[in-house]
Amino acid sequence: MALVRFCPDCASVEVAPGSTILEAARKAGITIETPCNCVGICSKCAVRLDVDSLKNVASAPREDTELDSGWVLSCQTKILGDITVEVPGSEQPDTIRILHHGLTHAVDVDPCITKIYSQKEANTSVFAFDRLLAREAGDTSGTNFGIVVDIGTTTLVASLINLSSGQEEAVASALNPQSLHAQDVLSRIRFASEEAGLEVMHKAVINEINRLTEVLAKGSGVVADSIYEMIFSGNTCMLHLATGVAPSSLGRFPYTSIITGGAHESASGQDLNISKSGLIYVPPIISGFVGADITSGILATRLHRSTDTTLFVDVGTNGEMVLARNGRLSAASTAAGPAFEGMNISCGMRAARGAIEAFDIDESGEIAVKIIDDAEVVGICGSGLIDLVGELVDHGVVAGNGRFVDPKNSKLPAVLKDRLVEHMGKPAFRVAGSVLLTQKDIRQVQLAKAAIRSGIEFLLQNGGVGPGEVDRVLIAGSFGYHLREKSLINLGLLPKEFTGKVDFVGNTSKSGGQVFLLNKESRKKMCDLVKSIQLIELAGIPDFDKVFVHCLGF
Amino acid sequence: MAREREDILKDLAESVVNMNMALAVSTAHEAIESGLDAYDAITNGLVVGMNKSGVLYDEEEYFVPELLICSDALYAALEILNPHLKREEGQEKIACVIGVVEGDTHDIGKNLVKIMLDVAGFEIHDLGRNVPLADFVEKAKEVKAEIICLSTLMTTTMDGMATVIELLKEEGIRDRFKVLVGGGPISQAFADRIGADGYADNAANAVKVAQGLCARFVAAA
Repeated sequence: MALVRFCPDCASVEVAPGSTILEAARKAGITIETPCNCVGICSKCAVRLDVDSLKNVASAPREDTELDSGWVLSCQTKILGDITVEVPGSEQPDTIRILHHGLTHAVDVDPCITKIYSQKEANTSVFAFDRLLAREAGDTSGTNFGIVVDIGTTTLVASLINLSSGQEEAVASALNPQSLHAQDVLSRIRFASEEAGLEVMHKAVINEINRLTEVLAKGSGVVADSIYEMIFSGNTCMLHLATGVAPSSLGRFPYTSIITGGAHESASGQDLNISKSGLIYVPPIISGFVGADITSGILATRLHRSTDTTLFVDVGTNGEMVLARNGRLSAASTAAGPAFEGMNISCGMRAARGAIEAFDIDESGEIAVKIIDDAEVVGICGSGLIDLVGELVDHGVVAGNGRFVDPKNSKLPAVLKDRLVEHMGKPAFRVAGSVLLTQKDIRQVQLAKAAIRSGIEFLLQNGGVGPGEVDRVLIAGSFGYHLREKSLINLGLLPKEFTGKVDFVGNTSKSGGQVFLLNKESRKKMCDLVKSIQLIELAGIPDFDKVFVHCLGF
Repeated sequence: MAREREDILKDLAESVVNMNMALAVSTAHEAIESGLDAYDAITNGLVVGMNKSGVLYDEEEYFVPELLICSDALYAALEILNPHLKREEGQEKIACVIGVVEGDTHDIGKNLVKIMLDVAGFEIHDLGRNVPLADFVEKAKEVKAEIICLSTLMTTTMDGMATVIELLKEEGIRDRFKVLVGGGPISQAFADRIGADGYADNAANAVKVAQGLCARFVAAA
């Protein structure tokens, strides 16, 4: 056996030679994130070994030459003898910026869960629609609560709602703990393709929801037993994992969803610690890649009631979009990849302390950078990246083909020219401190934005709508909330005809979930509506590649 | 007065690198009219240009659109030159089966690799996208391929590559083929793990790796 010591946690564990450092860490209870699901490409699980320890490991040959010596990928490095491993400080959940707020509208408080006190029998009956859920001794009719959980791929947001008043009592949020095992949706599908993996994923998210429930209940003096309903709003994959359903079919063409939503399940059956008779409601799901979070978004923004032409876009690793024209809806989704989460960007990171979140170039070429918490710069998060590339395109630092211009043959102001540097023999832009934007990073941004833009093009084309005919553009999602219209248009992620029409509506997965919770009529309406949404299958369009390639340029 | 061979070849190459389809077409006509050998015009003109485009792509100077537009110019000129190729000059080409594995429909990357291998002189059998895994094996046997190229963009379908290799082993014909893998989630480590013969991180490198595998092939034979 080999002895593995982890610093700075001072945990030790014995493992059989041949185990990976990651396996040892998991055995020792040390958290190391593995966004790429141990494929060995993301470098985010790198740990440092001292000189002696380096002799006691075997590392797979690595393409990534940017890691300094002493650093190895924990998922790719096998332990041969005793070693000491230094694990870099992981992101603390409380430093990650999570958006709670989402656009909503006044709702009639008419919840699915109702309570009636009978003086004669001295007990209170709890109903879900007309079905009797429970009888409680005494008059408990004043305490009736529900929770909305926005189950995002990266973050969870839970909101405790008083079902009598319609008021939000408290909000709590956390990172989705599933990302410790696999970062993106596809990696999670792969991880959960085996029963053991599915169980890990299911347990992880349920435990975290239970923890958030406890935080909410304690914080507002509510007993968990008086929480009767939970709304699970999220993308289709997250809802499969949260209800313990194997998501394998979502990972393969034709990407079919097993669950359809629009129905209740027992909360105790999913090990949720709310009232024993409590229920989970999953809003109707539109398709394998257009989930209940988008249904919630439609409900929150009343897209189905709009009389003009409105485009709703949730910008994330998947771009989901809905076009509403005279009340008729069509939807599509495109795979933007993890670039906007900072995941395959050399200096990319989540929207946490030290991330560049906004970037501006003024007329003289001077740069203004905004860093989360005004901390020392660590990297670039998605919103910063979109700002950055948008500004560089707008100021001619990046040409229409995505290439950095040659500083020697350009009319750029000297302050910008000086920032065009060479990094490992290739051009790069010095953003701030040691943070660089490389040519390869721009290529990743091009791929991501072209995916979303081509989705928009086909949705408009299918609806017979020119970009100039769109009256309103709603950008949803907690990531989208931190974007600026100018940057999205500079980048070409949105057509320039959208100028002045873009609204950022925030976390509508949560705010729409609240409408579901508070108004039972909305449920049937949305179930019917979802059936009538026309789904545009981009993979089936012969011209898709051509339009996608065209959208790669700026 | 007819221009020199070198000038025509240079224009053919440059028309491809500079994405100038009109020049590619007019120069191809000029090559035929001035009696230039079609095989010469292709291999020492167009292909030189496309290889240069591949280098620029590898250097991150060119990206997907540029590479595709270069290949548009190349294929436009090829259409004019191909009918003039003398039969006997067609060398024995190395057959190569290529496709996107079952479950995945993303094929832009596969198409780029196909273009570059085609230009490099491989005989391409493109099975398309969402290809049933057994089809790779069947097609490779049928056309006596030496290389099987597997592509995928999705983490969820990449294990299908390992299955193809397993199928080859089951039939006892694993050593008859070289298996080359690539795509978004694929890495050298993954290629090693599933026992693939080669991995390339972009279309230009795919040609180098494929050629390297075949050279070893020849040396071993």
